[in-house]
Formats: sequence, C-alpha cells, structure tokens
Amino acid sequence: MILYLLTLTILLLIAPLLLGLIKALKMRILFKRPASIWQGYRDTAKLLHKETVLSDEASAITRIGPFLVLAPLLVALLFLPPAAEHAYYINVVDAFTLTGLLSLSTFFLMLIGLDSGSSFGGIGASREAFIAALVEPAMVLTIFSVSMMAGDLGVAKAGLNLAHHFPTHHMASFLFAGISFFILLLAENGRIPVDNPETHLELTMVHEAMILDLSGIYLAIIETAASIKFVIFASLFVSLFLPFGLQFSPVLALAIFVGKLLLVAVVVALVEVNTAKLRLFKVPNLLGVAIVFAFLSLITYYVLGA
Amino acid sequence: MIMTHFFQLDMLSWLFVGLILLGTIPNVIYSRGYLAHIERKGHYRLHYIAFVLSMLGVVVAGNALSFLLFWELMSLTSWQLILTEALDDPEQVTPAARFYFFMTHFGFVFLLLFFLIVSHGDFEMSFTQMHGVAGAFPYATLLFFFLLLGFLSKAGAVPLHVWLPYAHPAAPSPVSALMSGVMLKVAIYGMFRFLFDVLYPWPLEWGILILVLGALSALVGVLYALSEHDIKALLANHSIENIGIILIGFGMGMIFDTLKLPTLSSFAFIAALFHTFNHMSFKSLLFMGAGSVLHETHTKNIEAYGGLIKQMPVTALTFLLASISISALPPTNGFLSEWMIFQSMLGSSHIDNMSLKLAIPFAIFALALTGGLAIACFVKAFGITFLGLHRSANAHHAREVNGWMRTGMVLMAGVVVGLMLLAPWFIARFDAALVRLGHPGIYAEIFPDTVFNLHSVAVHGGVVSPQILLAVLLGVTGFLYYGYRALKVKERLHRTWACGYRTGARTQYSATGFAGPIRRFFDWLYRPEEHLHSAPHPEGEHLRAPRHYSVHVRPLFETALYTRTARLANGISYWIYRLAHFEQTRYAAMIFNLMLTVLFSYRIFAHTFSWATFILESVVMLISIKILIIGEKR
Repeated sequence: MILYLLTLTILLLIAPLLLGLIKALKMRILFKRPASIWQGYRDTAKLLHKETVLSDEASAITRIGPFLVLAPLLVALLFLPPAAEHAYYINVVDAFTLTGLLSLSTFFLMLIGLDSGSSFGGIGASREAFIAALVEPAMVLTIFSVSMMAGDLGVAKAGLNLAHHFPTHHMASFLFAGISFFILLLAENGRIPVDNPETHLELTMVHEAMILDLSGIYLAIIETAASIKFVIFASLFVSLFLPFGLQFSPVLALAIFVGKLLLVAVVVALVEVNTAKLRLFKVPNLLGVAIVFAFLSLITYYVLGA
Repeated sequence: MIMTHFFQLDMLSWLFVGLILLGTIPNVIYSRGYLAHIERKGHYRLHYIAFVLSMLGVVVAGNALSFLLFWELMSLTSWQLILTEALDDPEQVTPAARFYFFMTHFGFVFLLLFFLIVSHGDFEMSFTQMHGVAGAFPYATLLFFFLLLGFLSKAGAVPLHVWLPYAHPAAPSPVSALMSGVMLKVAIYGMFRFLFDVLYPWPLEWGILILVLGALSALVGVLYALSEHDIKALLANHSIENIGIILIGFGMGMIFDTLKLPTLSSFAFIAALFHTFNHMSFKSLLFMGAGSVLHETHTKNIEAYGGLIKQMPVTALTFLLASISISALPPTNGFLSEWMIFQSMLGSSHIDNMSLKLAIPFAIFALALTGGLAIACFVKAFGITFLGLHRSANAHHAREVNGWMRTGMVLMAGVVVGLMLLAPWFIARFDAALVRLGHPGIYAEIFPDTVFNLHSVAVHGGVVSPQILLAVLLGVTGFLYYGYRALKVKERLHRTWACGYRTGARTQYSATGFAGPIRRFFDWLYRPEEHLHSAPHPEGEHLRAPRHYSVHVRPLFETALYTRTARLANGISYWIYRLAHFEQTRYAAMIFNLMLTVLFSYRIFAHTFSWATFILESVVMLISIKILIIGEKR
C-alpha cells in the first residue's frame, strides 16, 4: 500500500518534468538555448498565484469543466499497473473503461472549447473530436490485444502478468501492439505529427485552441491534466510493453520505472525533432496505421495460436 | 368462443411492461406541459393513450391475433400522433407520416406472412404451439427473414432505417421520445419473443447476419447523425445507431448460443436487454430536451441555437447527463451496457471457428469507432445548442420551460441514474427473463462477490463497478472544486479573448463547421452537395456582398435503395401501361406468361426441386418473353 501511494506520488510529481524534459531536449538538439526542465513547475506555481479571468460568455461548463477534465485522469491514475512486484494495485479497470475515462476528460475539454464562443475554441474542439473518434478504435483494439497476451483484461493485472511471463511466443503481435500504442501515445497527447504543443498558430493548434480562454488556476489545472495524461500513457507503455525490472527490490524497481518513463520522454522528443507536423487530413493516415497494427496484432495472435 | 392465450405475462413481458412504464410516466408529465403547444389537444390525448395501451398490449399478447391487433393499433396511433401538427407544417409532416405509414405496413405484411405460416392460419395458437409448426416447416430461414423484415423495419436497422430521420422530427417531441425510446424497443421485444419461442435452434448464419446488420446500423446511424443540422433528425439517427448496438449484442448472443457457449450467450443477451433499457432512458431524455429547446426557440435548426444553458439550466443539465450516457462514457448506464457488449465480443476468443474469430475484431472496431463518433456528435449537439453565444433572436428569447416539462425531464434523468446505480437489480431481472427463455442464469457469475463489481463471464474477463467509479469521480471532482473554492481566488469577467478579435454570434463555430473534418474524411460516404452563393455587390465588385454557404448530405441508402426502386417500379408500370393500352396482343401474351410463371413456381415449391426441369422451364419462359412480349427490335 505504501508502495502504491509512493508510485502515485511519483507519477503526479514527475508529470510536468517529463514534458519539460521533452521540451528542453528538443531545444538542445535544435541548438537553441534550452529551457529549464523545471519550467513546468514554475509555470504552475505562477498560475496558482494569479486571479482567474473568465469570459463573459462562460457558463457553468467553464467553471466546473476543468475539474471534470482533471478528475477522470486522476481516477485513471489509481488503476495503473504497479511499478514493482508485491506492490498494491487495483485491478478493476480494463481497456474499455480506461479509454472511457480518458474520453470523459476529453469530452469536457471539448465543451470548454465551445463554451467561450470564440472560433478558436470551436476549431480546437472540432479537430480534437475528429482525432479522438479515430483514436478510440485503435486504442480499444490495442489494449485488448495486449490484455489477451497477458491473459487478463484488467490493465493492472495484465502489466504484472507480462512481467512474469513475457510473451516470447507472441513477439509479432506484441511488437505490432507496441507500435500501435506508441502512435496513440503521440496522437492522444498532441505531440508533433498530430498536434504541435508549442505553437499558438491557428492553422496547427488543437489542444491549445480549446484552452485559449482559460487563465489562472483553471489553466494550471488543464496543463496539469495534459501532463498527467502523458504520464498515464507513458506508464501504460512501459508497464505493458517494457515490463522489465519489476522483480528487484522496491526502491530499485521504482528507480527503473522512473528511468523507463524518462526514456519514453526522450524517444518522444527524438520523434518530435525528426518529423514534421502532419496536415490535419493526413492525421487519419497515421491513425489508420495504428488501427492496422492493432488489427494485425489481434489477428496474428489468433492465427499463431492462443 | 373462448379466446385462448389472448394474453400471456411471463418474465420477458413483465420486463418490457416495466420498460414501457418507465418510459411513459415521465413522458406523460412532460406531455402535460407540452400540451399548450399543441392545437388539436383532443386528437393528441386520445391517440397518446391508445398508443401507450397498444404498446402494452403488444408485449403482453399471447397469440398471433392479439399480437397483430395491438401491433397494428400501435402503428396506426403513432401514425396519427405524427400527424398531430400536420396543420401547422403540412409540407414536412404529411410526407413524413405517409412514409412512416408505408414502412410500418411494409413490415406488417411480413409479420402477417410469418404468422400465417407458423400458425397454419390458426391465429389463436399460443407461441409455444407455433414452435412445433415452425420446426416442421422446411424453410426456417424464410421465416427468419420475415421476422427480420417485420421487426427491423419498425426498429429502424439498416437498410430499413430511412423513415426514422423523417418521422421523428415531424412528430411532437413527447411523441418522438415515446416512439424512439419505447416503440422501437417493442420491436426488439418481438425479436426476443419469436426468435426464442418460435424459431429456437438458430443456424450460425442468422446470428452473423444480425451482427453484421447491427454493426452497419451503428456506423451508418452515427455518421448520418454527425452531418445532421436538425436536432431531432440527429437524435433519430442516433436511434439507428443504438438499435445497431443492441443488435450487435443480440447477434453475439445468437452466435454464442449456436456454438454451445451458453454462459457467454446469456451475457450477450443481458447486455442487449440492458442497452435496450438504457437507450430508452437516455433517448427519451434527449428528445424531451430537444423538445424543450424547440418549444422555446420554435426552430429545429441547431445552427439557430447557442448559449441556451444560461436561460435553460435544467434542460441543459439533463441533456448533458443524457449526452454523456449515450456517448458511453463511464460511469453512466450507457457505458455499462456497451462495456458488457464489448466484453461479450471479447469472449470470441473462445470460438474455435477461425474465420469467425477473425471477423469479430471488425465488429469490435465498428463499435469502438461508433463510440468515438458518438462522442464527437454529442459534443456538437450539446456544445452548439447550449454553449457559446446566442446564434439567433429565437435563442435570445428562449426561457426555461414550464414546471411540468422540467419535472418530466428530471424524472427521466432519475431513470438514467437509476439504471446506472441499480444496475445489479436490473441485471437480475434480465437474467430471470433469460432463464424463462431457456438460457442458463448467470447472475451469480456476473456478481460473484458483491453487487458493486460487475464481472464479465469470459475467461480472464474484466471488471467494472459503476457505483465505485461514480463515487471516486464525484469525490475527486468535489475535492478539487472545494479545494479551489477554499483558496478564494479572485474572479474577474472579461470579454472572450480571441487573439485580439471580437467574438460575435456569427464568428462562432457552427455545427456544420464542427463536423467539417469528419464530413471531409467520410466524403466517399456522404457525397455532400455544397452550395456557395455569393451575389455581386451592387456598388462595385470589390465590396463584399453577404455570402451563403450550405452543405447538404443525401442519405446513401435512401437514394440507392428507395429512390431507385421507386424509379424502377415507375418505369415498369409505365411500360405495362403502354402495353395494356396500345398493344393489346402483347398484353395478352404477358398475362399468359404470368400464368406460366405462377404454374411453374407452384410446381417448383410443391414438388421436389430438380435443376433440369427448372432450367427447362426458365428457357421456355425466356423464349416466350422474348418472342411474345419484347418482340423484334424496330
């Protein structure tokens, strides 16, 4: 139980760091003077001191929405696979529920985008709806395929089972699922081939457009939600697709876990530097690749024997 | 004469009686408030009551006679209810009602044929006796198709769904709620009743067909809903989607039953029944919400709404609850039943038949994509209607609806919440109904430890707990919200910051714009007709004149199946008309040919079939048609 709470705390605390790391690394590679990796914490601290400015048009949705964006993600955080063996975990969430919780958060984010009556919010919400609709099938298929290899539909138990019995007989399906999930990680978190988190240019923005009218604590909450979403995906990725190092002593296992999270951040940064952002109508092609890999993963798993 | 088996009340009937009552009671209260809006009050009241009673009659009917009687009564009263407002808007309402009348009787013919065959013409036979007759009938698949055509034309599954987006917007809103929420479910009752009681051992293909129809309906429904601007037509298209989801569960149940996996089969059927109830609750609520908005703004066009949450908070919040539920977002009831259907599809790993096993992931894909698109659609429906600035003067003058209507909506919201929190209780009832239909009871396997953990019955199945999820979500949200309140942050209002521009009602995102990316992606299906009108400005070509952009999506199924069939029928009748009036020798020859056809087909059906005679007879037919009717080319 202590280990469980500790993992939760680490995930919560490390969330802004991961995004900060990605940003700093990208700037370093592009020969810019990098921003501090602690910038995320500073921004949050700054926002917490500010007053909240609301739009004249804002309704109850903007006032309550940010909490409803953050809450499902925090709940999802509770049900993630454990970072070390013998750690406490709650195995009551399967792929569909997890996807549902993430969608619930996105649902309210899109409503916030539409609430202020600005056309930018509409742009963001419309694009987010488009991307999220296509992400959903790939996400469900991928996690189910992995859960089948792990022999349990509960996500937490699946992570643990994979650590015990690495699916060496199903390497092909496992790899396909891994590729698919990584694409989803990029798409759902608005990373570069899908959305550029750094611009405020109307042609490219998705996530930023929806939150243009938030300020102060509300903005801090949404930014936290974005970083927590990334941490959820990263931790799912490392628990399901890099299930190593759980058997060591708790402290070492946790250290390895954090190391793997940082690794994911580094890989994302490298991908971001090396790819261009896709045009919105090219994004379905990328997600189509994810869907196809998810299918391939399920099908090879079935054909090559369960 | 003693009417034997006129009524029967078993667990399944009770279940649907419960569904009808749950759907009707809030509706009656809502109707009470809506009545001021309706001119022909007597007409409305009379048909409303008859409609509800006839639906109750259908689900407690015990033989073919009473079933068909109440079924027809239900169709006729609902047809009259659609016509309630025909005097106000004859161009839209009358054709819609006529279309509905035609479709519902199209289905009725097949039901009649079905009953004529399975009862040997004795309409007072009970359903269990029919089972024997149907078992002796050699062409069971024919009966199955009669049932499908009969019930699915009422339920609104692809390709018999085309009447829904016309009939539901034309009806007064409480009637749309009742028709979409309850009447479609009566057709699902028919599927349960006659597939279980009369046609029981099912070949594998039947289940697969229903699964495919379900997946198609789900996708087609949600895609057309996305391109819709009429809020009630949007909801009607979502009914098609949800009927599709119910049919996916139903089809999985049939497939598992044929493959001798009774536990999984029960689970899938329970999921289908649960979704039937859930769809009743949230769809009724959505139609009531749409009705309230319509009542206040006097327009069905979603582009004319906007910002209604400020004037109509009760309508907006109940609509939001229903939107979350229909989008299958946790922890609502809509999520639970879709979760169960997903879990039953994952039980497909137990299937040995490899090709079937490989096909099921496509159904999973269809259902997941439907879920994703439904979210997009309800963000659009809720966001454009209730958020932002008022898009028209109508929206500006809207006020919260009267107390009766509010009470109706709140009660229906209570039904939604009740289905979510009391899921175990409802599942126990569904389980009992399936036990009565001869399936194993699996309540103990779904809730092995406590009523809070809903388990899937597949091996290594998942677990979900609506109550715990809801409690945790509310707890975390409440904690955050009151944490924020406790900080006493200063709040200031300022106009919307749109990168320096002023926002206005006209510059907001419209519903058309919102669905734009999706419409463009599914261009091959929609084939939208886009119109851009820009008249030149009278005072010089450099000045901007107002422009008008409109996009219209023509339903593919309607043009492909219905319009073209109608055109074909017209063509043939014109040809025959010409023959009959101007070329009487050929007309006589055609009658001769028809008689030949009847005789030959009788021979084929009544006697043993042989390819040799069949080919011989076809050749005779073709030759006589060629020589006698078509004749030489001039």
